Amino acid sequence: MEKVYVLGGAQTDFERNWTKEGKGVIALLREVIEDGLADTGITYDDIKKLNNQNRIACFVGNFIGEYYINQGHLGALLTEVNEAFYGVPSARYEAACASSSVALDAALTKVRAGDYDLVLVIGFELMKTVDSKTCADYLGRAAFYESEGKNIDFPFPKLFGRLADLTVEKYGLDKERYLNNLARISEINYANASRNPAAQTRKWFMNYEQASTRGTATNTSVGGMLAVSDCSQITDGAVMVACASKRFIDEYKCGNTYPIVKGWGHTVAPITFDKKIDMAKEADCVLPYTAKAVELAYDKAGLSVEDIDFFETHDCFTSSEYAAISAFGITPVGEEYKAIEDGTISFTGSKPINPSGGLIGCGHPVGASGTRMFLDLYKQIAGKAKGYQLKKADNGMMLNIGGSATTNYVFIVGRDAE
Amino acid sequence: MNDIKTVTVIGANGAMGSNVSAMFASFGNAKVYMVSRSIEDSHAAAEKAALSVKAGTVRNNLIPVDYSSLDYCLSVSDFVFESVSENEEIKKQVYYLMHNLKENVIISSGTSGLSINKLKKYLPENVHECFFGVHMFNPPYSMPLCELIPSDGASLELTEQLSEYLSEVLRRKVVTVKDTPAFLGNRIGFHFINSALLLAEKYKDNGGIDYIDAIFGGFTGRNMPPIVTADFVGLDVYKAIVDNLYENTADYQHEYFKTPDFAEKLISNSWLGRKSGKGFYSTVKDGETKKRLVYDIALGDFREIRKYNIPFVGIVVENLRNGNYKAAFDTLQSDKSQEAQICKELLISYVIYSLFSARESGCNASNADTVMAEGFNWVPPMALVKAFGGKEKLLDMIRKEFSSSFENIDYETLILSAEFSDYDYRRYLKAKR
Repeated sequence: MEKVYVLGGAQTDFERNWTKEGKGVIALLREVIEDGLADTGITYDDIKKLNNQNRIACFVGNFIGEYYINQGHLGALLTEVNEAFYGVPSARYEAACASSSVALDAALTKVRAGDYDLVLVIGFELMKTVDSKTCADYLGRAAFYESEGKNIDFPFPKLFGRLADLTVEKYGLDKERYLNNLARISEINYANASRNPAAQTRKWFMNYEQASTRGTATNTSVGGMLAVSDCSQITDGAVMVACASKRFIDEYKCGNTYPIVKGWGHTVAPITFDKKIDMAKEADCVLPYTAKAVELAYDKAGLSVEDIDFFETHDCFTSSEYAAISAFGITPVGEEYKAIEDGTISFTGSKPINPSGGLIGCGHPVGASGTRMFLDLYKQIAGKAKGYQLKKADNGMMLNIGGSATTNYVFIVGRDAE
Repeated sequence: MNDIKTVTVIGANGAMGSNVSAMFASFGNAKVYMVSRSIEDSHAAAEKAALSVKAGTVRNNLIPVDYSSLDYCLSVSDFVFESVSENEEIKKQVYYLMHNLKENVIISSGTSGLSINKLKKYLPENVHECFFGVHMFNPPYSMPLCELIPSDGASLELTEQLSEYLSEVLRRKVVTVKDTPAFLGNRIGFHFINSALLLAEKYKDNGGIDYIDAIFGGFTGRNMPPIVTADFVGLDVYKAIVDNLYENTADYQHEYFKTPDFAEKLISNSWLGRKSGKGFYSTVKDGETKKRLVYDIALGDFREIRKYNIPFVGIVVENLRNGNYKAAFDTLQSDKSQEAQICKELLISYVIYSLFSARESGCNASNADTVMAEGFNWVPPMALVKAFGGKEKLLDMIRKEFSSSFENIDYETLILSAEFSDYDYRRYLKAKR
């Protein structure tokens, strides 16, 4: 199997509202691709040349452009960005909020198999094209729409509110302590995002007091015990990541070293939350398929939690980050609160989670979030995270989930030992 | 400098007073005494302040008081922020009340136009070196610019400590500016706005106000056209700023700070813009719907807004919509219509005057970018130079087409010596008319 090297990429500023700017999907794709190519030193001429040799392919991650921008056939859209993409194999991959992780999965597989030497993965979502209620309804299609989305206002906060209930019940937690832990998760993500110049919330105010005071006019309840401060917020955004084979590195990037993809794990849990609850009753943790995806990635990489310096997780809600803590192996199952209360997962802790700000801090353009996490792993390992650079970042793990922790995708990226 | 744990904001019932109180109470996590003439006003301002940062719990840090408590508030405060009316006499009276101050207190004025060195004279001499202008932009929650104006004789160390507090704790984008008229942001911004108003007068037979605004829509790097902006901030506020600049500057653009006659006339009618229902524009009810009218300078009356047929605008907007920034600027540069020339000339003037004013205020080009991006949300001047294709391309265009307009300023040196900042022009160039 070929090693896969991560060359870099680019992220659009998740604070931007492209509809307010009057701009469409081609502008979004053009900006992220041009920035990504500039970051990796790849030119449109390189793309043409590589394509003449059938050595390059593109992978587009997007959840539901058919609704937000009335556009399908998204792999083919790149041809509107530049004619260098004429003839380049390109297709769209979808798995709800994990769409760009399954695009990465396909891309990395084809490099590992030796099919292509350079792969460009572009995750994007334009969501500010509609009002928030319509947006939430569209997102309901990431659950089982017929029973969990249709005619339900803001379905996802309700589903992750149920995860919160399940966690308290299964682990026998004190509800108030649990909610305060969730508030701390929110506070950490906002604080981390304030250092990230591409984060949606970098100028926003949030502290522990505000996050732990729920059910008020400025922190309204959204689902079960969760409030607005527990939610990530949708936004517009795109991310490009470029990965390559050893052949490409030798030919185009002679002498340079790059982080490599060390492990991956992919599981799919039952799509309905009711069935997830049934599963959890039998399992030792609330999200067994999430834990399984992490375990698969550790096995592939031959690494354990001791080897991982930092994590980027899918904190679509604070309750999902809480559950991820033990899934990563940072604490035993049921003792997640320890890593929150003793500062383990904070920016300066021993196992920082979401140094970027995560979904809560960065914003969540659903089809872009997987590539955003992957790019953040790269930035930390390559020492390019600037204001949010961690001191030690040799290996990083990301968890991207689709739906109510239905699709689970984990990657480990790290420094190449050789 | 003390740790800033307690703050007094005087004039806390004004828009800036209440919003600035919220900055100290939220990001600063300080206890803030909000002082205004009536306790009811202070209470209302505290409620508004908490909402301005979207965090009800911030209200716990806000303590509404009136002037009867001022002495006590001053005696316990680490930071005093004066935000009373932009009137030297009123500020003087407030400054005369400032005794019984805590040791190592910082005293600041939020003035947008009055001289910091002049205001300082009304304070007890022992606090002169702790006095600063701290000029934030409205609303500070979304406009992070903070101009920091040390008074003459302020210690460098204290200035640096204060700058660090404002940027690291209050999360402001701090630019340290000399005590120059209107400081930096408003000098550049209102130069542009008044230039647009003077153009409206010059081209009054072409349509005037809405004609000029049609040439400087969102596609030129702003959320709203310049005269709409003046209407939005209020004609009285606009006039106070440009009058101040006209009276207190004598640079090569002096005449561009003269309020045009038609604006004087509107102001004398108390037509102060959006807040009074009428100004450069007006909104009237037309049955069930609302209709936007514009003041027609030639006609001396309001009329419906026109849809001007300016071909280059449509092409530029379409290119921006698809992210073709280069094609958009190539179109603007190659178009020789009257409208395109007006557009280019004022954009160039904006770049040159920004660089000139930055130098006057003891700042650099990068600071000019910061003030326009973070205080106005306009395309920053040096980012605009990049959008035009770089320094040489822009200079070439000025030399060939606009040199007579800029013959009294050494624009070559200003542009060539200016450094680029990290600001990206793309997000500022809206695909909008």
